[in-house]
Amino acid sequence: MSAAPEPLKPLKTWSHLADRRKRPSEYDIVSTRLHYRRRDPNAPWELDPNLPMNDWYRKYCNESPLKHPDWDLFQDPDQLVYRTYNILQDGQEAYVGGLFDQFSDRGHDEMISREWIATLASFFAPARYLYHGLQMGSAYVAQMAPASTITACLYLQSADSLRWVTHTAYRTVELSKAQPDLGFGKDERKHWENDPQWQGFRRLLEEGLIVWDWAEAFVVFNLVLKPAVEEALLGVLADAARSNGDTLYSLLSQAQMRDAERHRRWASRLVEMAMTVESNKDWLRARVADWTPRAEVAIADYCKALGEAEAGARAIERMHAFQRGLGLRD
Amino acid sequence: MSKLASNEYYDLVRTTNWTPRYVDEAELFPEMMSGARGIPAEAWETFDEPYKVTYSDYVATQREKDAGAYSVKAALERANYIDSADPGWVSTLQAHYGALAVAEFAAATAEARMARFSRAPGNRNMATFGMLDEMRHGQIQLFFPHEHTKRSRQWDWAHKAMHTNEWAAVAARHMFDDMMFTRDSVSVAIMLTFAFETGFTNMQFLGLAADAAEAGDHTFASLISSIQTDESRHAQQGGPVLKILIENGKKDEAQKMIDVIFWRAWKLFSVLTGPILDYYTPLEHRKQSFKEFMQEWIIGQFERQLNDLGLDLPWYWDEFVRALDETHHGMHMGVWFWRPTVWWNPAAGASPEEREWLESKYPGWNATFGRCWDVITENLQKGREELTLPETLPTICNMCNLPVVGTPGDGWNVKDYQLVHEGRLYHFGSEVDRWCFEQDPARYQGHMSVVDRFLAGEIQPQNLAGALLYMSLNPGEIGVDAHNYAWAGVGKQSHAAE
Ligand SMILES: [Fe+2]
Ligand SMILES: [Fe+2]
Repeated sequence: MSAAPEPLKPLKTWSHLADRRKRPSEYDIVSTRLHYRRRDPNAPWELDPNLPMNDWYRKYCNESPLKHPDWDLFQDPDQLVYRTYNILQDGQEAYVGGLFDQFSDRGHDEMISREWIATLASFFAPARYLYHGLQMGSAYVAQMAPASTITACLYLQSADSLRWVTHTAYRTVELSKAQPDLGFGKDERKHWENDPQWQGFRRLLEEGLIVWDWAEAFVVFNLVLKPAVEEALLGVLADAARSNGDTLYSLLSQAQMRDAERHRRWASRLVEMAMTVESNKDWLRARVADWTPRAEVAIADYCKALGEAEAGARAIERMHAFQRGLGLRD
Repeated sequence: MSKLASNEYYDLVRTTNWTPRYVDEAELFPEMMSGARGIPAEAWETFDEPYKVTYSDYVATQREKDAGAYSVKAALERANYIDSADPGWVSTLQAHYGALAVAEFAAATAEARMARFSRAPGNRNMATFGMLDEMRHGQIQLFFPHEHTKRSRQWDWAHKAMHTNEWAAVAARHMFDDMMFTRDSVSVAIMLTFAFETGFTNMQFLGLAADAAEAGDHTFASLISSIQTDESRHAQQGGPVLKILIENGKKDEAQKMIDVIFWRAWKLFSVLTGPILDYYTPLEHRKQSFKEFMQEWIIGQFERQLNDLGLDLPWYWDEFVRALDETHHGMHMGVWFWRPTVWWNPAAGASPEEREWLESKYPGWNATFGRCWDVITENLQKGREELTLPETLPTICNMCNLPVVGTPGDGWNVKDYQLVHEGRLYHFGSEVDRWCFEQDPARYQGHMSVVDRFLAGEIQPQNLAGALLYMSLNPGEIGVDAHNYAWAGVGKQSHAAE
């Protein structure tokens, strides 16, 4: 310690943010450059470098085909932090809780037809499984993503999926009270595992859940499967609900769509960032081209079984438009 | 009101297991990530979390908790408590934030492991909330210290520490990575939530909160007690997993996981929490000794929990109880002596009054650890500071990555427990550390401790300056005695190091 250089001067923020001109926001302070497993690309975890979990993170995160010199530059366009997420969603839940309350007070489920409720038993209640699958998928990509700012978006996205699971379970119980003999609360797994309307989604979900590369899993969930699910269940089914007097489902799906739109905003920003690296463009387009046909089948099968084949075609077009807007298809 | 009660639909929210058709079950839940150990899905579906929470409850409660903690901070920010706080307390905060803020954000990864790979739907849902909790703990514990970066560069380490090769950060990573990031979902539930969060986090967060309240640091006290309310919820994932393992004939395996990680947690706490509670916290604010906190939170409660589940105390329990009088005193002396290599200013805590307190809490302290402090005190009084600073390397344990310590004095018992494994010689601080290694050598064998790296020439130049460089410690960040030796009757007490 002889001839020690000048002591470092205190800074107004974290040293890693100090070079920037602008004053750091709460988001910057609490979200950026947190993944310490990225410090040594050869040994993500401070144990034997050859440990299988070190291989897993090297292979599926550090050596992913999707490249960027600094993923940590990614920022959530909504700049959500944990604190503001709860404020946002507590408000959203108060709204949805209010809907449930008011419609129940009005005897909503007694006013819609038994036939429509039977449709909900097959086309809505089993979505609990699908949404839970989205919850699992987001939790996976979250634990593998290369930057804490990406991971944080995925934690919230996973929780939002649990939110949808919860809404679905809530309505399932209410509907079982209105029509006790339609299998609500009992038959969802059977529908999910066997009915033709679900098999396209189920196949895409199951196959997506075993994609281990973080970037490809992101593509499957955020650019293909989720948009497909949202267009079919929050779009086509909601329209059908409206024509069957089920205003409640239509309003519920709109509320859930707020979450989905937020997911699309951050996913779009991430794609935009990835596309600045030339070699990523072909890879992303190829991955989207590879997975999207399975989503087309999923939407088409679901909508056809619902008797909404034409609406299904339009839903597929909307999914394509989302991808096209990102430069991921022609 | 016509709203459904949550117990009417709660079970459906956790009825989400299905049989995959388009991929293999074994592909969907790889053993390496899920760790179901051959126990069938139906058995995992009996998982029943004791603490039930719905999404809407969660966001409402957490919003309120944050409103509470952030408003206490905002209200007290102007008071600039930190500027008049004892330097030992400042060091406490810096050590705490550096070792924990970024690590807690990482802990969400472990929750995400369970949220994706657990075979129990209830576990996956609880872990989804746990994931959010740990995101909270990372973020809030970055937000709170951030306002202090203007005070000294040591505060930068709240964000920086875990990204460096500083030795305490290496030791913390080695333990955290072993416990929660490189394990399957079932192991995470047992090692992280049951063995670590039920006892040890309680210690760190409630023990320290008690001292913080005594010290008048209401911001920190309210912060960490608020965090603890989340911990005590998501810590309850381990119990039901253990129950399923035991019912399915896997008790021995469960017991071993607990035994390994309990010891590892104890060692990490002996260097992190022990010195804070018994040496850094100003004497008048010490609520209880480290040992008393350990007796209350670990020995009392953890023992009971093991018992309730039909599990045994770890085989080394007697050695653990004995070490409560020893290990953290040795760790503290090591940290103080090697103070240039940490990002906070260790408080010696060895003034005459403090020594009296130590002797009363740890009878025999004066005749053992006290004798080393006698020598240090005398050197300082005679102006021989250089003799109180490091020139040699400690022996570092290849399990806990902490110095090998023991009790000095007549009963000198420091011993290097060795093991040759596949041609390499490993050093351990205790028989238990060596036992942990032997349970799964492949996890640890290729890892190099900081001293191993030094001896292998990976750290250049091969001297203290080179080591500091390697650890990213610069002047302005490196630790000095928190009180500028006032406790030894030397000079005047200075404020927190520049
Ligand atoms: Fe935590
Ligand atoms: Fe925790």
